[in-house]
Amino acid sequence: MWRLLRPDAVDALDDPRVLSAMPRYARVAKGTLPARFLISRSISADWDPQGSLEELWQVHNRSLSEAESLMRRIDSGGMDSRELNREPRSLLHLKARIGEALMESCVLCERRCGKNRLNGELGLCRVGRETKIHSCFDHMGEEPEVVPSFTVCGS
Amino acid sequence: MDGGVPLSEMEVARLIDRARRRGCRNQNWVGGDPIPHIPFWLRVLLHEEENTPVFFNTNGYYSLEASALLKGVVDLYKIDFKYGSDRCAERISGVGNYWKVLTRNLKSSKSGGELLIRILVLPGHLECCLGPMLSFIARELGTDTRVNLMDQYAPHWRAAECPELRRRLSREEWERALKMVSDSGLENVIS
Repeated sequence: MWRLLRPDAVDALDDPRVLSAMPRYARVAKGTLPARFLISRSISADWDPQGSLEELWQVHNRSLSEAESLMRRIDSGGMDSRELNREPRSLLHLKARIGEALMESCVLCERRCGKNRLNGELGLCRVGRETKIHSCFDHMGEEPEVVPSFTVCGS
Repeated sequence: MDGGVPLSEMEVARLIDRARRRGCRNQNWVGGDPIPHIPFWLRVLLHEEENTPVFFNTNGYYSLEASALLKGVVDLYKIDFKYGSDRCAERISGVGNYWKVLTRNLKSSKSGGELLIRILVLPGHLECCLGPMLSFIARELGTDTRVNLMDQYAPHWRAAECPELRRRLSREEWERALKMVSDSGLENVIS
């Protein structure tokens, strides 16, 4: 159906202009390389739950460079991405943990309002602790290399 | 934005997995802006089963901390680059330090992922905004950077507060914008 709505999008992942700007994305979208989050979910990260935020960042940055070198190995064909496992305490888990910590005195956006969103206080963004799903749909109106795009609107 | 349904991370992950299986090319996180929801999205990813690239659809006004969390997660950033001067950003959107924040995040998204830039040309903002944005992109991000230049600005919401934003872009302005693009050396512009 989307091919009728957006005939320009059908071959977009093979368009040389798309490939020059976003070669890796094109391969992930085609399913021949793993998305980055799958790589981060396969890297174990051993952080101390009582540790300070600064310590969490140190573990994060170490694990992130590990993830980056693993990605280079996979992308150059030096490793089969089907071997990626799912670590119970991964870099992705640590990112989620740090993300939550940043909401306590929120500095996610550059307004850095410092509201305690973890306690339900609303930030300048008018968002508190919870993310609700406003809508989700297969978006046909984006750039050709992106459609169809499963769009989830958080509110 | 108000309203919406509370869904668990697991439920959202299942919706995304299903979308991927029916042929969607990516998961597109939007809001409003997805920045305040980054912690939620990270938890959703913990539950996903399919290989679905992450498309982060943002105004680009996020912190260094958020930028570090997005690294190793986002496959493709789509950043709306709006202003070429802090003065215009402050006056129209009420945000400070715009140029420094956006150029920093554009650079790091390009080095830690891949990037698509969207520019909605604003009436009366060709010299102050479009010009500096195009030359920054060509100079700092490379002439192969993919840019979607859009002419469909329409005065909505609080546009009436800025006199020059009470109208659509004129044909003459759009032609001038296209001329500025070809002079900038950018080679990968959709318009």
